[in-house]
Amino acid sequence: MKRQVLLPLLSILIIVVGSFGWSIGAGNSILLGLDLEGGAEVVLEPVEDIELSGDALDEALDRAVEIIRNRVDGLGVAEPDITRQSNRIVVQLPGVEDQQRALEVVGQTAELRFRPVCAILPAVPIKLDQSNSQNSDGTNDGPVGILPTDQDELSIDGPVQQDSETMGLTPDGIGCENLGFAPEKAIEMENTEPDDDEADDPIVLPLLDSEGNSYQRLLLGRSMLTGASLETADASFAGFEWQVLPVFRAGTEGIDLFNAAANACFNRTSKCQTGQLAIVLDGIIESAPTVNTPFFERDQIVISGNFDQNRAEDTALVLRYGSLPLEFGDPTDPTSGSRVRLVSATLGQDSLDAGITAGLVGLAIVALFMISYYKLLGLAAMLSLAVSGSMLWVILAWLSETRSLALTLAGVVGLIVSIGTSLDSNVVYFEHLKEDIRNGRTLRSAVDQSFPVAFKTIFWANLASLIGAAILYFLTVGSVRGFALMLGLASILDLIATYFFLRPVVKLLGMQKVIQDRTWLSGLPASSEEGS
Amino acid sequence: MNLLRRMYRNETTVPFAKLWKPVGICSLLILIISVSSLGFRGLNLGLEFEGGGAWELPASGIEAEEVRDALRPLGIADARIQTGGDVLRVRTELSKVAQSTLEEGKSTDPIVAQVTAVLAKITGQPESSISVSTAGPSWGEEITQKAINALIVFFIVIALYITIRLRWEMAVGALLAVAHDILITVGLYALFQFEVTPPTVIAFLTIMGYSLYDTLVVFDKVRDNEHLVTDSKLTYTSVVERALNQVFMRSVNTSITSILPVVSVLIVGSGIMGAVTLREFALALLIGLIIGTFSSLFVASPIATVLRIRFGDSDSDSNRSYRLSEAVRKRSNSNQGAPSVPSNPAIPPRPRKKRK
Repeated sequence: MKRQVLLPLLSILIIVVGSFGWSIGAGNSILLGLDLEGGAEVVLEPVEDIELSGDALDEALDRAVEIIRNRVDGLGVAEPDITRQSNRIVVQLPGVEDQQRALEVVGQTAELRFRPVCAILPAVPIKLDQSNSQNSDGTNDGPVGILPTDQDELSIDGPVQQDSETMGLTPDGIGCENLGFAPEKAIEMENTEPDDDEADDPIVLPLLDSEGNSYQRLLLGRSMLTGASLETADASFAGFEWQVLPVFRAGTEGIDLFNAAANACFNRTSKCQTGQLAIVLDGIIESAPTVNTPFFERDQIVISGNFDQNRAEDTALVLRYGSLPLEFGDPTDPTSGSRVRLVSATLGQDSLDAGITAGLVGLAIVALFMISYYKLLGLAAMLSLAVSGSMLWVILAWLSETRSLALTLAGVVGLIVSIGTSLDSNVVYFEHLKEDIRNGRTLRSAVDQSFPVAFKTIFWANLASLIGAAILYFLTVGSVRGFALMLGLASILDLIATYFFLRPVVKLLGMQKVIQDRTWLSGLPASSEEGS
Repeated sequence: MNLLRRMYRNETTVPFAKLWKPVGICSLLILIISVSSLGFRGLNLGLEFEGGGAWELPASGIEAEEVRDALRPLGIADARIQTGGDVLRVRTELSKVAQSTLEEGKSTDPIVAQVTAVLAKITGQPESSISVSTAGPSWGEEITQKAINALIVFFIVIALYITIRLRWEMAVGALLAVAHDILITVGLYALFQFEVTPPTVIAFLTIMGYSLYDTLVVFDKVRDNEHLVTDSKLTYTSVVERALNQVFMRSVNTSITSILPVVSVLIVGSGIMGAVTLREFALALLIGLIIGTFSSLFVASPIATVLRIRFGDSDSDSNRSYRLSEAVRKRSNSNQGAPSVPSNPAIPPRPRKKRK
C-alpha cells in the first residue's frame, strides 16, 4: 500500500528535480519578448533595379513578409515583430543579441537552387604540384574525388585567380556540361563567395558535417531548377530514420524540371556525372542526395539518409520557404537602405517587474486562501502547483533555447491566470472528497473512491482544452499559436501533476492517523458527524 | 445553519431554476448593449492591426520614457517607442486617410506634423532629419483570417466532442455560453473604446478556454446526476438544479483562485507599480473570468436544460449511465428506497450511521 503511494511520488519528484537541475545546468533560461527585453532588427529594402511596382510590388512584399515570418518563426512561438514600413520590411527578433545571428535567421535574399554535383573535392584546395608531392609522401591518403587524368592539360593551367574570371565567362550548357574548364581543375579552386553565387555559373562549396566543419567540397554545376518549382516540403519519421518529403508543383515549371535533372543524374550523363543533385541556399549546401530513380511523381519524392530530426526539419523548412519573391539590398552594405541593428524594449523592465510582483502577490494570496480553506489539502494543492510550475519552466526554457520561444508581457499575465485555473482540478477533487465523507465514508476510503470520479471530470474537461489548443496550434500563426501552445502545455501539466503528484500526496495524508483524527488539519468534515 | 456553512458543506439550496429567467433577462440586456456598441462604435484596433505612422530619426542617449512623456500631451502615450543603434523610432496609430496621404508623401493629418515637431524638439534634431513613413500592420489580415478559420474548426470539433461525451443539448449550451462571454467582453472594449492589441486578443482566447472548461466541469456533474430522473422520479430541471448546487462551491472557489491573481495584477501591477499597459488587459481578463463562471451556471445550464426538456429522450437517461462514485450510487439507492421524494431534493439525505 505504502509502496503504491511512494513510488509515483518519488518518481515525479525525481523527474521534476532532475529536469530542473538539468535545465539550470544546461544554462537554459526563458527568453523575454521584444516588449520586455528588445532584440535585433533587420530592415530589408528592395534593391533599386527591381521591375515590380504598384500592386505587384505590394503583393510581392506581402508574400515576402509571410515567408520571412515562417522562416523566423517556424514553431510560431518566437513572437517576432514583422511589419512593412512603406516598401521596407522591418523584422524584429526578440532575444537576439548579435547582428550576425539576426541576419542568419532572417536569411536575407537567398534563392534556393538545385545544382548537379560535378565532382567531389577534398576539404581544402590543393595546388596540383603540392598534391602530387603530398601523395608521394603518403600524407594525403584516401580518395580525394576526381584526380587528374591528363597531366599535360593540367600543367597548362594558369593561376587560381584566372579561374574565377573564366568562370564568369562560362559557355552555355546545362548542369555540368561545358563548364569552361576541366572539372579536375576545381581541386585547386577556392570556395565560391556567396556574392559570386550566380545561378548560371558553376560553383565550389564546402559540405559541412553536423558540427559545421567542412569535410568535403563539391563542384556544383549550373542551377537546373529553383525553389519556385517546389510546392511544399515536410520532414517525417519513417520507421527508423528521418526523411524529407518535397512536393513539386505540377507542370513544366515544376516537376518536369525536377525530372529532367533527376533523369540526367540517374543516368550519370555529362550534365550530372556523379548522380548527386545538391540543394543549395545562400552559399550553403543543405543536402546533396544521390538520385536513385529516373522519374518521379511530384508528391512521392523522398530524400533520406543520415538525417537527424533537426537536419530533416531544417532542410524541409529551407525547401518550403527558400525563395523570397523579390531581391532585397544587403543589410551589411550601408548604401543599400537595408540595415541591421540592436533595438531596445518597447515596454522595459518596469513593466516586467510590475508583472512579476503582481504575480507573486497573487500567488501568495491564492496560497493563503487555499490553505485557510482546505488546510493540509490546500498545502498539497500549492505543492502540486509548484510541481507543474517547475515542469512548465523547464519546458519553456528548453523551447526558448531550441526554438527561440519568447515570453511577452501578455505571456507573463497568461501564466498568472493559469495559477488560478490549474488549481481548479484540485478544487474539483477536494469537493468530491468532502461530499463522499459527508455521505458516510471514512477519510481513507473516500480518498480512494473519489479520485477516479473527480479525475474523470478533470480529464474530459482538460481533453477539450487540449483538442482546442491543438486545432489552434496547427491552423494559426503568430501570437495565437503561442497562446495555443501555452494552453496545451498547461492542460497536459495539470493532468500530470494531478495524477502523479496530488493523488499520491492526498492518499498519503489520508493514511496518517494523526490527520484522520483531526479535521482541522485535513480541512475535511469528520467522517461521522452525527454528534455535531 | 448559516449560508456560508451550507456553502461549505455543498448543501446550498440556491433555486437556480427560478433565477434563470430574471438573470437571463439581465444577461440578454448586457448582451444587447455589448453587441450594439460593437455594431455602432466598432473596435478601437491598435497599430498592430490597422497600421499607422512611423517616425525615425538619429538620436543617441535618449530614454524611451522621456519620449513617452513628451508625447503624452498629444494623447499618444501608448505609442511604440524603441531606441537602439543611435536611432529612435516611434510608431503610433493613424487613420486610414492619414496613412494614405502619408504614403503619397504629403500628410494632411495635423497629428503627423505635431509628432514630428515634438520629436525634433526633444532630440534637438532638425525636422528634416526625421523620416516619416507608414507602418504596416504586424498582425496582418492573413493572421486574422487563419485565426478565424481555426476558431470555426475549433467550435465544430468541440461541439462534436461534447455531443459524443455528454449531449448535443449541452454542446449547444456550452458554445452559446462561450459566445456570450466573448461577446460581452469584446463589447466592453467597444463600449469604452479600449485599444485592442494582440495581447487583448490573447485575453479573449484565454476567456474562451476558461469558460469552456468551467462549463464542462458543471455539465459533467449534471450528466452524473441524470440517472436521478428515473431513479428518484425527479424532474430534469430539479436534477440540474441539484447538480448546480453540488458544484456551486467548486465554482465559487475556482473563481476565487482564478480572479485573485488577476485582481493582484490590476491593483499591484497597474495600480501601485504603474504598469499602465497591464490595466486594460487585466480588466478584460477579470470581467471575462467572472462572466465565464457565471455563464456556466446561468447561460449554459438553462439552455441545455430547456433544450433537453423540449427535445430530449427521457428513456435514455437511465440507459446511458456513467460510472458513479460508490457514495453517489449508495445515496441514489437510498433515495429509491424512500417512499417519497425528499422534500428538498438539493439536500442529500443524511446517511445512517452504521455502527457504533
